[in-house]
Amino acid sequence: MAAVQTREKRILWILSIPMALLALSAVYPVYFTINAALKTRKGYVLDRFGLTTDPTFVNFSQAWNQSRLSEYFTNSVVVTVGAVIALLVVASMAGFALAILRFRGRKIIFITILVSLMIPVQVVLVPFYRTMIGLNLIDSRPGLIIAYTAFFLPFSVYLMTAFYARLPRELFEAAQIDGANLLRVWWHIMLPMGKPALVTLGILNTLYCWNDVLISLLVLQDQRTLMVGIAALRGEYTTNVPLLAAGICLAAAPIVLIYVIFQRQIVNGIAVGAVKG
Amino acid sequence: MKTTNRILRAGTMLATALVMTLGVATSAKADTTLTVWDWKSGDPTTAPYFEKVKTDFEAAHPGVTVKFVMQPHDQYYTLLGTAIAASQGPDVVLVHGGSQAKERIAAFSKLDDKIADIKTRVAGWDEFAGPDGSAYAVPISIQGLAVYYNKELYKKAGLDPEATPKSWAELEAICAKLKAAGTTCFALGNKEGFGADFFYSAAAANALTAEQQAAWTAGDLKWSSPEIKAIVQKWVDTQKDGWYAEGANSTAKFMDEYQSFERGENANTIGLLSDVAHWKEFDEFLEPQNVGVFVMPPVTASVNDKLRMPLAGGIGYAVTKFSPNQDLAVELAKSFTATPAMQVFFEAAGAVPSDTAVDTSKVESPSAKIVLGSLSDGAPLLHNNTSTAETEEWHRQSQMLFTGETTVDKAVARLDEVQAQAKKK
Amino acid sequence: MTQTLTAKDSKSTAKAVSRPKSGGHNAERLAYLFVLPALALVVVFRIIPLIWGLGYSFTDYDGMSAPRFVGLDNYIGIAHDPVFLDSLVNMLILLATLPIWIGLPLVLAILIHQGVPGGKLFRAVYFFPAVLSSVIVGAIFNVLLRYDGSFNLFLKAMGFSAVDWLGNSSTALFSLIAVQLWATFGMSLLIFIAGLSTVSAEMLEAAKLDGAKLLQTWWYIVIPSIRPIIEFAAVVTTIGMLTSMFGLIYVLTAGGPGTSTILPEFLIWLEQGKMNRPGYASAISMVLFLMMAGLAAIQIRIMSRNADI
Repeated sequence: MAAVQTREKRILWILSIPMALLALSAVYPVYFTINAALKTRKGYVLDRFGLTTDPTFVNFSQAWNQSRLSEYFTNSVVVTVGAVIALLVVASMAGFALAILRFRGRKIIFITILVSLMIPVQVVLVPFYRTMIGLNLIDSRPGLIIAYTAFFLPFSVYLMTAFYARLPRELFEAAQIDGANLLRVWWHIMLPMGKPALVTLGILNTLYCWNDVLISLLVLQDQRTLMVGIAALRGEYTTNVPLLAAGICLAAAPIVLIYVIFQRQIVNGIAVGAVKG
Repeated sequence: MKTTNRILRAGTMLATALVMTLGVATSAKADTTLTVWDWKSGDPTTAPYFEKVKTDFEAAHPGVTVKFVMQPHDQYYTLLGTAIAASQGPDVVLVHGGSQAKERIAAFSKLDDKIADIKTRVAGWDEFAGPDGSAYAVPISIQGLAVYYNKELYKKAGLDPEATPKSWAELEAICAKLKAAGTTCFALGNKEGFGADFFYSAAAANALTAEQQAAWTAGDLKWSSPEIKAIVQKWVDTQKDGWYAEGANSTAKFMDEYQSFERGENANTIGLLSDVAHWKEFDEFLEPQNVGVFVMPPVTASVNDKLRMPLAGGIGYAVTKFSPNQDLAVELAKSFTATPAMQVFFEAAGAVPSDTAVDTSKVESPSAKIVLGSLSDGAPLLHNNTSTAETEEWHRQSQMLFTGETTVDKAVARLDEVQAQAKKK
Repeated sequence: MTQTLTAKDSKSTAKAVSRPKSGGHNAERLAYLFVLPALALVVVFRIIPLIWGLGYSFTDYDGMSAPRFVGLDNYIGIAHDPVFLDSLVNMLILLATLPIWIGLPLVLAILIHQGVPGGKLFRAVYFFPAVLSSVIVGAIFNVLLRYDGSFNLFLKAMGFSAVDWLGNSSTALFSLIAVQLWATFGMSLLIFIAGLSTVSAEMLEAAKLDGAKLLQTWWYIVIPSIRPIIEFAAVVTTIGMLTSMFGLIYVLTAGGPGTSTILPEFLIWLEQGKMNRPGYASAISMVLFLMMAGLAAIQIRIMSRNADI
């Protein structure tokens, strides 16, 4: 028995070497981006990989001021926060109803929402844009919040439904017998109980909204979001990698910061909704 | 019942609040705002030019605000397409000359009777003209193709750095000599197929007569015609002869190809006159006295006594048909060519301006002088008169010719098909 | 009338609870109110645009002049479009790599679960690329995978010959897939790690006492017990494969060489934007959607089961 265990241990040790290399490759982009951001355009062209010897912060200030990223930053924060809250509320309400309540057309509604998960954004570009115009939602932050909610909703509804379906029913029935109305059941029981799945969705949707370019491009043509600003930095000829890298550092910083601070919760929480309890 | 009512009431209130927020967000428009779409205004080198246009225009038109919206270039035409389809969006838009502009003129206002005052001062109108010759956009730059070379590397290979090739045979001799000295002759990036675009366009400039150029535009001169097929053949031959470094298909023309030229890894490159990959940029890396420039000789006999540089209107501003401020928008589009602004465009960005009144006499770069000197006698830029469908197919075929997946005969046959279909419409 | 609550969980002993309530259809109506916001958003912003797009696909719409009905012309055009057919082949190749997309993170997750040295650190770091946008991932791999890039320098130092990873029709698609896999495997990994934590320790202990080898334990006990989670990851991964490769294609290969890395998603972008043929692009979209719907049917079955609907 002991021999088997030491052999297992040894195998794990050996396997940890390729895993460490993979881990190294995963952090390499961070080094590359920061290093490139600290170079001048000319310095980057002449030496793309080498560690910068003469760091400059010009790119950061240029990206922040001249490329108006500071303005876009606020937009991104407002829109992301708004959309994530809306997504969580709408998805948990729908998930609650679909998983626990019984009503006619339940299955059709669920399938309709799932089908919409399979529609690529490119497919509906023109009609979607015209719909937004028709509803007077173009060029407004609430418009983009609604658009994000609509686009990222199907998956969120699915996850909440799957999660609620696995909660012990007794909880809900007890509340029902106490005569609490549905809204209160949702607010006092379903929301707190759904926390692990809501955390997961909160994280995923924050990533989706923050990193989105296409939907934001269509809807917010005046006031940009950060990622659109970054995408525009690429320009026609992808000339200025250091400037782009500086922009990316600035845009990714909040996300990376959130990731580092909440690493444990994210790693633990991200899949709880998918796990059969 | 109570619960339902309460929820309904809450829902109504929420909806009302939402509608009000939306209303406030969209209805606040006091003065006139002209929205301009482009993919350049945030670029540090061109920013001073756009700033000047905006300041001057707003000073001349009180109460009008000019707003530049810089779109990511990869989504530019997708976005423009959706805006046009919905008849709502920008008043003035930047477009590339040639097929990108011409395939969209149905959405642009005809400018003919409004541009008489600038028509002669500004050059490059053809690239933005409709089938009847009417103007649909105001050109702001002249774009073209020139071969830039590294004089230092020429000297190292025992070549006279001032003797530029006048024929294909001479160019072949130069490449042979460079190769013998261990230097790659041409930088080439063909990841997107742009390398192949520049090649056939540069090689055709002095190979086709004016009639043949017109036949090409109309779709009557085929890819399988001897003139064009000879160029496609040379595209393959030059690769076989080792003119380029390995990996052209995975090298982006912008800017991997040019950056390798700037690092001195190869002796020649087919570059541009405006925007990037031009004299100003190469001077910065290789020192002005080391940058030379010549016109690509045709693969067959030249139809011109003196080789002409292929050039045409580069980018220009069109006014959208759906803009509610037609007159102001036209004024704005025209103001992009105002000489003081154009002067900034030339000096800050090194763009060759469409405005012929710009003072270029102070420029010291030897290659810039040659480029500016050849503007008055240019040849058409063939790839501007190729349909987008053909261009896309040529991008693919050119790559497969390099990987050996297709042959010259098969490639031109396929391109003939696409050409016939595209020009049928 | 009655409000019916059925026990959803088959294992649960609770029977359907019927409680008469004074409000009549109230509860059912309330249930509709709960799904209404979600349903309305999905229908207005996704389903209606989809039907609208279906309409365009039967026209010669160019975004400028009024659409003219052309019947099945676009669909006939597609059937004869070699580029479109190539893109379908590429899509099938991409889908065929799904086992790797599942297998790699699964093996890594099991190793981490088994307590590989440094496991906690790996778990945190592997998720990193998933946070980055494809713009930066593309920019980096552009430099790494070029012919004179670091990858080939390394190969040459090891005595191999250089490969034009992105410029060769036989390797370009696989390089692209590898980069996307690298950039996204962290998500599946976390899902699997969470799933593994639910596998009961007694079961593993019992297996060990039975003298089961490590590999056998994984194959016969661990993997079957997290099957629903593997299915879930497969669903999420497939959707990602078919709808989020655009950024990388654009930066890394632009669809080339030839048509070797054109996926339907990229072709739609090309036709819609550069080629300015929304009608034709819509037809491609509809074909893509129908093919995905076939796939979707399987997925919906899996997802419905997971959600117990």
